[in-house]
This record gives sequence, structure tokens and C-alpha cells, in this order.
Amino acid sequence: MTVAQIVFILLTIVGLGAAFLVVTTRNLFHAALYLIASFFAVSGFYVLLEAGFFAAVQFLVYIGAISILFIFATMLTRTVRGMVPRNSQWQAALFIAVVLFVAMVVMFSPISFSLPTRSDRTFGGVDWQFAEVLGKPGVLRSVPDSSILDFGRALSDLNQYGIALLLSGVLLLIGMIGAIWVARERKPREILAERARMAAEEASEAARQSVGTKIPDVVVAHDSHH
Amino acid sequence: MLNGIPLYWYLIVAAAMFCIGLYGALARTNAIAVLMGVELMLNAVNINLLAFWRYLTPESPAGLAFAAFVFIVAAAEAAVGLALIISVYRNMNSIDPEKLDLMKL
Repeated sequence: MTVAQIVFILLTIVGLGAAFLVVTTRNLFHAALYLIASFFAVSGFYVLLEAGFFAAVQFLVYIGAISILFIFATMLTRTVRGMVPRNSQWQAALFIAVVLFVAMVVMFSPISFSLPTRSDRTFGGVDWQFAEVLGKPGVLRSVPDSSILDFGRALSDLNQYGIALLLSGVLLLIGMIGAIWVARERKPREILAERARMAAEEASEAARQSVGTKIPDVVVAHDSHH
Repeated sequence: MLNGIPLYWYLIVAAAMFCIGLYGALARTNAIAVLMGVELMLNAVNINLLAFWRYLTPESPAGLAFAAFVFIVAAAEAAVGLALIISVYRNMNSIDPEKLDLMKL
């Protein structure tokens, strides 16, 4: 076993174990912490894949920002303890997940390539299933030194991903404005006025249905400041 | 770095992580936990993208660009999703997805 294989197996144990605890633990705060552990393992996979930039981005964006968002949301909703770990349809969910996993393993693993229906071992011109494992390291090409430079040029080139990059900036801006707008704190007066208006509408609707004649809409007293 | 690790190891680990996230998204009784399951699924997809990039086309930046856009969309999704959850909690005092049935006929 090579060092890389041992590191891979350790990362797998940490990542999948933490992911399993994320979806099974009762305490939502602990789930957020296990999620951070899982993000760490994924970042380790990126290092193994020689995508150092994405390992750094995983640290900054997922571990630094998104997990903090999760922890804040957990604290703001006060449902940390005593959560029921699974709902009534959990058996169906487990069945779907297991079937999907078995299907994907059968599709990806080399076993399926000895089946009579799958005689094609190449994909994209590369014998990708058996690259490395059967002692054919020549198949695997190395990452060029200018990889990140090419990536940056491709992102800033309008003929490649420039438009998509600009659009994703717009997406992030809209997402930020939308998040602020959706989660804004509304004044109690506003909420009371809205509830009163909804109650009045319901009452007038009920009266209309029971009497069968049109009655004038109820004027809401709190509506003046709109 | 990749000595002795075949591509399908990455694919199977990512498949396992995706299925765990799918189970979490379907079977949890808390909207924040559902969103955590979705994040696990997005991470699994990113592992797959970068593994295919490394093993098949390490000379091309296309795989990296795909992974970058998945990151961007995941960040926007998490921010908007958590804002929605906080808004729902303020209005209904609960974030159990099964109780959010206002739009049901």
C-alpha cells in the first residue's frame, strides 16, 4: 500500500463517518460540527487530486463561511435539542439511497466491466477504470505547472467562461439581496396589521359564502401607514 | 500524489457521500438538517468533477471551471436557503418541513 492509498482511506473514514453522523445525530449543533469535519475530509481529497486551489477555496468558503452560516441559523432557530432524528418516510428514503448507491457502485467498479454487456473499457479515449490500478501509470498524465494560470485566463476570457463568471457575480449579488430581504426583521406593527388584514379578509369571505350576498370589505384601522 | 489510487475509488466515495446526503435531505425533520444533506450532495458532486478533471483532462481548465461554478451556486443556495428558514421560523415557530403546508390545496 502506498502512502497515498493510506491517506485516501483515512480521509474516507473521516469524511463518510462525519457525513453519516450529520444525517443521524439528534443534536443539530453537533450535526453542524460533523459537517465541518466532513468538509475537512473533502478538502483533503482535493489535495490528493492536486487541486490545491480548490482545497483552499473549500477551507475559505465551506469551512469558513457556510458552516458559520449553519451554526448561526441553528442558534437563531432554537431547535438544537430534542430533534426527532427522522421523519415517517425514513424507510423509503433509506431504500432509495441504498438502491442508488448499489447502482452507482455496480456502474463504477471494475467488476461491471467484466460483464458481457460492458465490453468498452475506454471512456474519452482513456482506459480510466484501470489507470493506475493495474500498474499502468503511463496512462495518467500530470497536471501542468501553469494549470491555475490557464484556469484564471479561461475564467477571465469572454470567449470561454467570462460571461458565466460575470453572471455568477450577478447571481451572488441577487442571492445576497434576496437573503437580506427574505430574512429582514419586520416591525411588530407591520405584522399585526398584516394579520388583522388577513383575518378581516377571511371573515368577509366567510360571510360572503354563508349569506350569499356581497358585503362591503372591512376597513382595517392599522392600514394607514402603508 | 495519485500513486496507486484508481479513479473509481473517488467515484465510489463520492457516490456514498451523495447517498448519505440524499438520505439526510429526505428523512430529516428539520429544514436546516435538510440543507446540510444538500450541502453533502454538492460536495460529492465536486469530488467527482475534480477527480474526472485530474484523471481524464488535467491539461484543460474546463473541469476546474465547472467545480468553481458549483462552488458559487452552492454558496448562493446556502445563503438564500438559510434566510428562508429563518423567515419561516419567525412566521410559524417551526422549521419542520412536514408542517410547512400553507401552499397545499
